[in-house]
Amino acid sequence: MMENLVYIALFAPFAGSLFSALFGMSPKQTFVGIVASSLLFISFAASATLAYHVYSTGAAVHVTMMEWISAGDLTIPFGFLVDQVSVTMMTVVTLVSTVVHIYSIGYMDHDKSFNRFFSYLSAFVFSMMILVMSDNFAGLFIGWEGVGVCSWLLIGFWYHKADQPREENPSISPSWAANEAFIVNRIADLGMLVGLFIIYWNVGSLQYDVVFAAVPELSGSVLNAAALALFIGAMGKSAQFPLHTWLTDAMEGPTPVSALIHAATMVTAGVFLVIRANPIFSATPEVSFFIAALGTFVALFAASMALVNRDLKRIIAFSTLSQLGYMFAAAGLGAYWIALFHLAAHAFFKALLFLGAGNVMHAMDGELDIFKMGGLKKAMNWTYIYMGVASLALAGIPVFAGFFSKDAIIETAFNEGTYVLWAILVLTAGMTAFYSFRQVFLTFHGKARYDESTLHPHEMYKFVLIAMSPLALLAVIAGFFMGGFQTFVTKLLPDYVMSDHTHHLIWVLTAVVLVFAVGGIWLAYKKYANGLKRDEELENSFIYKLLANQYYIPQFYEEFITKPYAMLSEHMWKDVDMKIVDATVDGIAKFLYKSGDGTRKMQTGNLSNYLNWMALGSVLLLVVAAISAMLS
Amino acid sequence: MDNILSVLVFFPAIAGLLGFVVNKDSARAYGITVAAIEFFLSLWLWLSFDSSNAGMQFVELIPLIPDMGIGYYVGVDGISLFIILMATLMTLIGMMSMTITKNIKNMIITLLFLEMTMIGVFVALDAIIFYLFWELSLVPMLYIIGAWGGPLRVYASVKFFLYTFTGSLIMLVGMLFMAYVYHNLTGVWSFAITDWYSLVLPVNYQLWLFAAFFFGFAIKVPMFPFHTWLPYAHGQAPTIGSVILAAVLLKMGTYGFVRFSLPMFPDASVMMITPIAILAIIMIIYTAMVAYAQKDIKQVIAYSSVSHMGIIMLGIFAMNAEGISGSVFQMLSHGIVSGALFMLVGVIYDRRHTKLMSEFGGLASVMPKYAVIFGIMLMASVGLPLTIGFVGEFLVLLGFYQVSPIMTILAGTSIIIGAIYMLAVYKKTFFGPVTNEANKTLKDLDSKETWSLIPLVLIVIWLGVYPKPVLEPIDNSVKAMVSFMHEKAITQEAKDMIKVAKTDKGGF
Repeated sequence: MMENLVYIALFAPFAGSLFSALFGMSPKQTFVGIVASSLLFISFAASATLAYHVYSTGAAVHVTMMEWISAGDLTIPFGFLVDQVSVTMMTVVTLVSTVVHIYSIGYMDHDKSFNRFFSYLSAFVFSMMILVMSDNFAGLFIGWEGVGVCSWLLIGFWYHKADQPREENPSISPSWAANEAFIVNRIADLGMLVGLFIIYWNVGSLQYDVVFAAVPELSGSVLNAAALALFIGAMGKSAQFPLHTWLTDAMEGPTPVSALIHAATMVTAGVFLVIRANPIFSATPEVSFFIAALGTFVALFAASMALVNRDLKRIIAFSTLSQLGYMFAAAGLGAYWIALFHLAAHAFFKALLFLGAGNVMHAMDGELDIFKMGGLKKAMNWTYIYMGVASLALAGIPVFAGFFSKDAIIETAFNEGTYVLWAILVLTAGMTAFYSFRQVFLTFHGKARYDESTLHPHEMYKFVLIAMSPLALLAVIAGFFMGGFQTFVTKLLPDYVMSDHTHHLIWVLTAVVLVFAVGGIWLAYKKYANGLKRDEELENSFIYKLLANQYYIPQFYEEFITKPYAMLSEHMWKDVDMKIVDATVDGIAKFLYKSGDGTRKMQTGNLSNYLNWMALGSVLLLVVAAISAMLS
Repeated sequence: MDNILSVLVFFPAIAGLLGFVVNKDSARAYGITVAAIEFFLSLWLWLSFDSSNAGMQFVELIPLIPDMGIGYYVGVDGISLFIILMATLMTLIGMMSMTITKNIKNMIITLLFLEMTMIGVFVALDAIIFYLFWELSLVPMLYIIGAWGGPLRVYASVKFFLYTFTGSLIMLVGMLFMAYVYHNLTGVWSFAITDWYSLVLPVNYQLWLFAAFFFGFAIKVPMFPFHTWLPYAHGQAPTIGSVILAAVLLKMGTYGFVRFSLPMFPDASVMMITPIAILAIIMIIYTAMVAYAQKDIKQVIAYSSVSHMGIIMLGIFAMNAEGISGSVFQMLSHGIVSGALFMLVGVIYDRRHTKLMSEFGGLASVMPKYAVIFGIMLMASVGLPLTIGFVGEFLVLLGFYQVSPIMTILAGTSIIIGAIYMLAVYKKTFFGPVTNEANKTLKDLDSKETWSLIPLVLIVIWLGVYPKPVLEPIDNSVKAMVSFMHEKAITQEAKDMIKVAKTDKGGF
């Protein structure tokens, strides 16, 4: 029974994808979206039932469908494992996916490729389910690459748009951004593959249970190498520095895609990997600390760029990046369950935030610049509430989900004695509150900064707003389930509890974070609640420009990687391959031809000439014979 | 049927001869029928093949020159079986999709003759028979490129012929020397490959012989720096020529390494791991970069072929079953995928008579079906899991990791740079707005094109999801070969390097 549910949860999205693909080239059919959404809901229901089953029995469900690859001593099955960790991911993924699917019926209603969109979106969910449910590293890699391709298809969904100069569109074009995402992820995937190879040649298997059981017998250097290689893989999918540039460019995709893939699910795959492979990472404190330090850095780094950005979606993308940093910080410090909890809570409120942003875009005719919005509160009351709730949760204001999950991460940093990390995370919490509310105020408060004579913003369809409500509800209440969640997942994950010392200081610590969070909101309110006052001097300052240009990292990559690679390729082809390698071959051929042509002159038909040549030849042969006789 | 291999080899040739009396208008139908029968015969071969038997099956031996130990000696094992199937399949599909109308009868006869030589190479167990088919395969390809090719066709075909022929001659010298050594050591003459296997040679002999065979195989593969004939050949060849060349003819080289070099010269092979791996890595990285610089879609695919052949070479020298099985599987995968990609380039060339990427852009809007199939083949080419391209590439890299982590990481960059040039092709050709007026009215795939490509799409997905029916027989034969090599090796280094699988059942 439970085994069937596993297959239903896994294959319902696949069925939805195939069904939609049947109509992929025909004009919009609303029922395609409805069927795909229903199948997603079925998958969600199956996942929720499985969650309840795992919760009530405490036992994992493990199924092996068939063998996949078997060569030499390597055997990889298609096996699926539903335990506390994977069932959490499955439930979160299918819940957010269902909401996003229903949302897309409304959001994509004018798109001529409506059916194709659902095909891709469901295919993505299927890949994501493989990723989280697989019982071995190779199966995880299937899902890993599968979500990568779906992400490529969906970022480049509006492939017909032309490339623009970077000054006009920092992401150049959807197809450019899609290729960038794919290639950057491939760099990380190589690291991941190497991790798999290390594990295989030291353990002899890629099955999670076998590998994790073998961890105590492995040497430190092997474990470090494996952990580092796996984490490089995680850095690509979760867009950690320096492989982060693709995530903001991925905003070229339709907004539901950003909500689902580039906020709630796929980008958290790296965090999931670290949590899943926690026995390896627990055994490698150096690598884990590196993860925590990098995560903390990215949290601050991304938040700093969000402070000045004007693009509605990019601000949220930076915030996603920043929150992923928080998750890695927690996972790196050994608080795996807290990382997983923040992952889930973040999925709810960030998806909500993105979908809200989608409503705004829909209303504003595709406009993304928050400097050209303002005063939308009246026309879009529900969206305002949703985005407000999501931002409160993101900022970590009490009772909202983010307060519990983010605060726990910050406390963990304190508890571990890594005070520098703690301080950075607290500061980042303040910045998060500021940029979140800067966005809310600039979008919804003040006076309209768009041309009201031509643009009449309108609220999103009612069914879309209703579909979003589960996310809003969870963004508010998810935090109250923290204790229950802890008991549930720590049956599998190592428990992490604060020391007594931290426990005593908990009110102080919470208060410090709150001061920063409320301070950030207050600052944003002061500056932006009553409309936008441009500060030319500030906007022209070096720091502002540095942040607005993402520290010039995309430009740096273009100048120092992309362009030299193209130049070198051109050089390799024209100068090396043509002028050296091929020219040598042709040179040998020409030499033979010319020498043949030259010696042809010997054929004079004159007998005495021939005799001369013959005599010369005989002498030469004699000399050769004499020399070889002497040598031997 | 005991002599199914002989039927497979000579049926297309005899049918080809009969083709001379077939009416010109029905030549195409005739060719497709013959190729289809041949394909079903090869499927039958697979059905009657005993997967659990790692040794040679369907063996036929007819002594031809008993005094010299030369005989008509053929057989098939897990390693050669699927290459034969791929050869018959690609010949059939290539013919089905063919759009050539000029001298169609000659083309059909040539292709059938070529089919004989290809199958002959992969079933031959006698070195002379092997050599005969090996060299004979040059003639039809020379004719296909020279008669139906582009403007530089004569240069390209002569270059292809002379270059590979030179390599083969060095290989022939190696074969004669091998027979001579065999005679010296055993007192009898034999050109039977299985007899040669049993010969344990001193290391310096092994090295010289390895080198002689190396030139024959390496030029065929083609390995860097012997690869420059390939872009010309592909650039000038008609679609059908490129399909067969990439799918089957190149595999003759890598197959030669597996069939001859490894089991005959295990010590020399182990000693040559590093130099060959370096060449293979240069092939992978360098030609992938050159591919990125190309302006012509077909040239990109041609150079990408060299890059992928580098992966295959690397796997052969992994000296473990994971790597070698992966390598043989990758031969099939590359055959199907590059064959399909060349057919896809042919589709657009037929419509626009140009292959330059700058002429296109936005084709996904006008030719959606074409874009989908191209996209699937692209993903298979870059080794996406659950497509045929992943299995081989993954196993090769996994296998070679045991030999050298650093070199594996270098070779593994193929998953990055492969994506770079393929995605660049896709973006320039299919994405963006339709800017060129000539592209606005292009017709999507017609039924002939669709039905030639659909089987390949199905195979790409089927063998990506469930490679077992193919991989298992390959792996059995490879495991047996590896343990044989381990047994036979005389140096300690070679014995240490050649890893016998724990699950080996023997039977080589």
